[in-house]
Amino acid sequence: MQIYLPIAEMSANIMTLIGMGGLVGFMSGMFGVGGGFLMTPLLIFIGVPPAVAVASEANQIVASSVSGGLAYWQRRAIDVPMGLILMSGGVVGSYSGVQIFKALRAQGQVDLLISVSYVLFLSVIGTLMLRESIQALNARRLGNPVRARRPGQHSWILGLPFRMRFRRSKLYISVIPPVIIGFFVGVMSAIMGVGGGFIMVPAMIYILRMPTNVVIGTSLFQIIFVTASVTVFHAVENQTLDIVLAALLMVGGVIGAQIGAFVGQRLQGEQLRALLALIVLAVGARLLFDLLVEPEELYSMTPLTAIGGPE
Amino acid sequence: MLSRALFIVALFAWLPAQANVLVTDLSKDQISIRGDFTGETLLLFGAIDPGPHGPVDGVVVVLRGPGENVVLREKRKKMGIWINQAAYPMGPLPGFLATVSSAPLSALIPDDKRRALGIGTDKLEAFLLDGEASDTEQKAALEAFVRLKHADRLYAENPQAVEIIDERLFRAEISLPAGMPVGRYVTDFYAFKNGRVVGYRTGELPVDIVGAGHILGEAAHKQSLLYGLSGVALAVFMGWGVAVIFRRR
Repeated sequence: MQIYLPIAEMSANIMTLIGMGGLVGFMSGMFGVGGGFLMTPLLIFIGVPPAVAVASEANQIVASSVSGGLAYWQRRAIDVPMGLILMSGGVVGSYSGVQIFKALRAQGQVDLLISVSYVLFLSVIGTLMLRESIQALNARRLGNPVRARRPGQHSWILGLPFRMRFRRSKLYISVIPPVIIGFFVGVMSAIMGVGGGFIMVPAMIYILRMPTNVVIGTSLFQIIFVTASVTVFHAVENQTLDIVLAALLMVGGVIGAQIGAFVGQRLQGEQLRALLALIVLAVGARLLFDLLVEPEELYSMTPLTAIGGPE
Repeated sequence: MLSRALFIVALFAWLPAQANVLVTDLSKDQISIRGDFTGETLLLFGAIDPGPHGPVDGVVVVLRGPGENVVLREKRKKMGIWINQAAYPMGPLPGFLATVSSAPLSALIPDDKRRALGIGTDKLEAFLLDGEASDTEQKAALEAFVRLKHADRLYAENPQAVEIIDERLFRAEISLPAGMPVGRYVTDFYAFKNGRVVGYRTGELPVDIVGAGHILGEAAHKQSLLYGLSGVALAVFMGWGVAVIFRRR
């Protein structure tokens, strides 16, 4: 069954979109990653204009992080003051990201910006995930427990001025590092249509040194607000939000995430995590290929302005 | 475009006073793009009065979409990757252009007259709206424009798509893809005899997005803040709703 997407100005199969939402939602539920970094490239591959893909995917992530964040809220596993500090940087960052996006869009370089950002991030994340899962697989085969990495010392950063007490994280640190981290993740969110949890979570653990039990909940909490602001800023500045597309992705995504979380609790994850890493690397490789190989069609076309009748 | 209209008027003034040999109609008087629109086929048909001239040589039907200004960008290799480098803002060019006929255009109309009438995508002309570009670059960009439009099935030519029945009736089919631009379309029907226009009719075909898609499209551009906030509200509602439903089970 086909549906016309009014902002993307294309017709797409409803089941394909719900299915993609479901598949990415399933993986995100199972692995606890946002899934935006897979969904945005997939949307671009099926022909959705990149600017529409980014804005609409940000909107979908609002739904999936609300859905995921509620569970952590009930478990009291969210550090709200920390989330709000991260968010303050994140909202400013997302506004800056949308402005960068808008400026490069006018120059015709936004597709390049998106592709290059994705190639960099997907190759880094994919490699890290693959290495981690191979280590875990080896460790399990040898019967050794996986040793947690020891975070390095960053105390001078945390000792900057404007220190604040975060009771649930049991920290007394400067607000400057979380604001800066929030800002960068916000910029990335606006440009790539991702939640940024895959950057935020390690940053919280290794830089802010937050206890792991509040990290995911707090990350989801601030992602809700940052992706919501990305959605609104893109809608206002670039007018590229397609609510019909976002809604279909949400339907698939939220259901897929619930099923994925259910399955994920009952499965040994290492092999699947290695598979996810390979998928991430494959998507990155495909985007890199498109940048390196001479395209069949060198020209592309974007509307300048809509003008009246044909005469 | 104006010169084309004047040319046609002049043509008729110049011809001896006579009745128009064409009577034409469309299978639809408007195209409504709804949520389930996947494109459709438009039937264009009519009657030919062979009286004054004898049977016509052929019929040409042109469906032309609203004009648009576009930027064509050309990728070039830089630092090992293919990057959009040259930009050619051009216009006005029809967003949609289908030219169908009962015989190859070259067999019906002399080349210079075809240019004056603006029939055929190879006779398209556009102005460079900004910047500078050599004639070769402009020509290449215009060719790329036509190529991209063909790939999107927004431009089409078919010299066999007009069927003439018993020298008196004709029918043509033009397929309209899902991605067709909206706006006011114009139909031009021509009947040719010995390389001259002996019949001409023109008409309009409005193409609009209707229903929910129309409301959303309007909101996205005119009430963009409210539209963005609605997207967020929908997301919060759905995320929360699904979490509640799944927790109960």
